[in-house]
Amino acid sequence: MKPPVFDYIAATSTDMAVAALAAAGGEAKIIAGGQSLMPMLSFRLLRPSLLVDINRIPGLAYIEEADTCLRIGALTRHFQIETSPVIARHLPVLSAAMTHVAHLAIRNRGTIGGSLSHGDPAAELPMIAVLLDATLHIESVSGQRAVRAQDFFLDALTVDLDSAEVLAEIILPKLPPNTGWGFEEIARRHGDFAIAAVAATLTVSDGSIRQARIALTGVGPTPVRAAAAETLLIGHALENKLVESVARAVRAAIAPEDDLHASADYRRHLAGVLTDRALHAAWRRAQGEP
Amino acid sequence: MNQVGRDFPRLEVRAKVTGRAEYTHHLRLPGMLYGKVFRSTVPHGRILHIDTEAARKLPGVHRVITGEDIKKLIPEPYYGPAFHDQPILALEKVRHVGEPVAVVLASDPHVAEQGVQLISAEYEELPAVYDEVQAMKPDILVHEVLKPAGTFADLKHLKDRGGTNVALDYHLRRGDVDGALAKADHVIEHTFKTQQCLHVAFEPFVSVADPGDSKLTIYTANQSPSFVRIEIARLFGWPENRVRVKVPYVGGGFGGKLYIKLEALVAALAMLVRRPVKIALTMEEQFYVITKHPTTFRIKSGVTKDGRIIARSCEVHWNGGAYADIGPRVAQKSGFTAAGPYDIDNVSVDSYEMYTNRTPAGALRCFGIPQLVWAYESHTDLIAREIGMDPVEFRHKNLLRNGRPQASGTILKDAAIPEVFQALVKRMNWDAPFDRGAGILRRGRGIAIALKAVISPTTSVAVINISADGSITLFTGSVDMGQGSDTAYALIVGEVLGVPAEDVRVVHSDTDVTPYDMGTLGSRSFYHMGNAVRLAAEDARGKLRALATEAGLPEGTNYPPVEIFKKRYGMQAGNVIGTATFLPTYSPPDAQGLSSNVTPFWMVGGAGAEVEVDTETGHVRVLRLVNAADCGKPINPAVARTQLSGAAIMQLGFTLSEAMHLDGGQVTNASLADYKIPGMADIPPIECELVTAEQHNGPFGAKGLGESGTFGVSPAIANAIHDAVGVRIMELPITAEAVLRALRAKEGRPLDDE
Repeated sequence: MKPPVFDYIAATSTDMAVAALAAAGGEAKIIAGGQSLMPMLSFRLLRPSLLVDINRIPGLAYIEEADTCLRIGALTRHFQIETSPVIARHLPVLSAAMTHVAHLAIRNRGTIGGSLSHGDPAAELPMIAVLLDATLHIESVSGQRAVRAQDFFLDALTVDLDSAEVLAEIILPKLPPNTGWGFEEIARRHGDFAIAAVAATLTVSDGSIRQARIALTGVGPTPVRAAAAETLLIGHALENKLVESVARAVRAAIAPEDDLHASADYRRHLAGVLTDRALHAAWRRAQGEP
Repeated sequence: MNQVGRDFPRLEVRAKVTGRAEYTHHLRLPGMLYGKVFRSTVPHGRILHIDTEAARKLPGVHRVITGEDIKKLIPEPYYGPAFHDQPILALEKVRHVGEPVAVVLASDPHVAEQGVQLISAEYEELPAVYDEVQAMKPDILVHEVLKPAGTFADLKHLKDRGGTNVALDYHLRRGDVDGALAKADHVIEHTFKTQQCLHVAFEPFVSVADPGDSKLTIYTANQSPSFVRIEIARLFGWPENRVRVKVPYVGGGFGGKLYIKLEALVAALAMLVRRPVKIALTMEEQFYVITKHPTTFRIKSGVTKDGRIIARSCEVHWNGGAYADIGPRVAQKSGFTAAGPYDIDNVSVDSYEMYTNRTPAGALRCFGIPQLVWAYESHTDLIAREIGMDPVEFRHKNLLRNGRPQASGTILKDAAIPEVFQALVKRMNWDAPFDRGAGILRRGRGIAIALKAVISPTTSVAVINISADGSITLFTGSVDMGQGSDTAYALIVGEVLGVPAEDVRVVHSDTDVTPYDMGTLGSRSFYHMGNAVRLAAEDARGKLRALATEAGLPEGTNYPPVEIFKKRYGMQAGNVIGTATFLPTYSPPDAQGLSSNVTPFWMVGGAGAEVEVDTETGHVRVLRLVNAADCGKPINPAVARTQLSGAAIMQLGFTLSEAMHLDGGQVTNASLADYKIPGMADIPPIECELVTAEQHNGPFGAKGLGESGTFGVSPAIANAIHDAVGVRIMELPITAEAVLRALRAKEGRPLDDE
């Protein structure tokens, strides 16, 4: 099928974009990379009256390093993030996750802002945003606001973004020193959305874990931070018995569903296995191993 | 000049890579209307009412057509190669979700599509049957009456099995199976299942019909243009010469584009509105046209303690969906070899082609053989395990060899079964130590081998025109859908007539100019049409020599053809037309299902796989896939290799990831987002081994091999998984979840308990 009829504006500034969104009274959609939006239009799952193209807004695609964080412009393409030396240095778990985001052709076009705003329940970027405690900067005609990634994802394909708002910038705090990371994913095919994926970071000093973060995707309507499981790790060295109880806590924290590609049981099982693997990888890396 | 036997690039490769090759999708005719199809939303129901009014009123809609409109033009609008069971548009009943019920015609395809959204239909829903074994119970009947087509020689015996869902049952009885089972030291029985899958050609179905004044022309992506002409002529009650069927390149067929798909529909629409009509399906619509049979195969073997198989019984149920298409041939042809490439004295085969309320099933790269091999080669491995014998040794002991009768009774000839098996074993380094992995990653390897009887008896006709300048044009009804038939025939013509293959022009199917061919299917073309082409070239060579004699030239003259023509006709004028018809011999099966001559040649193929299984996730990584096939003497080894690897990749998808999911008769994954064909990154290293042998009656000793690469892939992988982690998967596809569930069941803690 072809998309239904829509009007089109190529915005040249964020102000122009948000003005157009406001004027459309909730009937407009932003188009950035178009990697999710275009198929949805062609299947006529969406029928916006207006597309606001933000691809030509200057200064919306960037990766900037500040003292304690990285700032990423919403229009930054996946491929830029995947290959950024700054990200590889400060947020290697993000670099690793990017290689699982679809295929190269899609990564050349898709954007971080688009992926987060779309909120696919099995996508990698929302999970990484939740893992890294990202802050999302949102703009509209009525001004700016910031929202924590944790609070941003409301349900499957539903995020805390009004139809007149645009996600402008993603702020990702740098990982503390002595932090190791792990990323594990199982998908039906190379480049598919995850059946289940787990990302973890462990910050270790004097042989025990000071900070632990575990996030999952594909196991529910939104990305999940397994806070209760994280707490179990604090103050301990990683050993198998501990990992077992953490994996158990992770499995308890999620509510996966059956679909065509996997059963809820299998997803829950994978959540445990992948948590185990991600934690071990994070622990090894925290000790300075590659 | 040596043309055959060398690596030769396909003639059309430049045109395809540069986007210049001609496909039906490109065609636009003046005044052409686009048709979009309104499809049934219920799996089985009586049509109460079709409301087309809103669609008819939509500006830009030319006309809306239903089955009743078609009936006014064609009183008996039912078609099919085996039974005339399929209505051009649904009449009275619908029998599967997605069945065409109405068509909206408009100059703009998007208007037509919008029109389709405005149609609604009311059905009285009837109980439906989806499972091939349950369909044996006659309480739900998909068809009340069946009319055998009587078109093809091998399907002359079809009849209306009134009051059942059986389209065809084939039974083979050889020796005394029960007696031998009673004597056997081990009797081993298993049931295997396969899933419904799809051809997924990159070019979805597309056909155009132009009503013309005195002749209907159909441009179509189809593998059997001669059949299309005959069937369309039959529907209209016309002579064949009033129908012209043209087929340019086809963007992948794999059996899906055989016989009639959209052709009867566009023809009827064009005749109704007297304007050209084009219907081009979307990828999603392909899920409602034709599929690969799901099967249930119960197989039982009696084995002696020294490892000889003395009896085998096979019961196969084929899920043919709502319309027979060519399913009856699938059930019968594959029935001949359902017991595998083994020398077994006592064999029984019961093969049932069943109607159900699913999308119809037909031919898909090997007419049912991969479903059978999946079962019998998994079973063979399990027997070897049970009797404690190495699977290679066990197979060696039982392989069928030339000179011995195959299960059908036909004496095996020119089938390189031991050679192919040996080549596989060698490539797999079976006797060398094997790294079995450690910890959670375990490795295993598996092997499988199979046999197929090619379709028979079928006719191919070829015509060669040598023009007065000596240039050569070949006319055949073969369809080059990527398999390289144009190139293969050019090589044959070049070999016989002593010209470079690249100078031979091959004319694509156009029934106004190309002669009859039964169809491009079942790896038959190269053997059947290849023989016809060779004979036609020899005929032309003889006629050219006669022309030289007429021109007064001495026998054995080295005058170039152009000089012969000039000498004979006084100028560059005239033609030499060489022609030949090839029809192999065949004996139909008798009442016991036996025949002394069931096939003109045998196809032999096998596969070996090395896999790594993640025991915590069930994820299977294929580390290595080896494919070997009997090629006779390959005409073009480079193309032969890509045929084998292409077939293996296709079967890999059917093995690991592809499945049509059904919920209450609805296909729930009718899109390439959710129907998982392998991507480039999912394809393991594939090694292809061309086993050179001699097919005594093949063109230059060669035989067809378009399907051989599919044979062994699925069981080789399942056998390798078993070898790695000790679990057996009985049903395709082998997903990571299926493997994990099997592992957990073996450990006595099923996954659901977690």
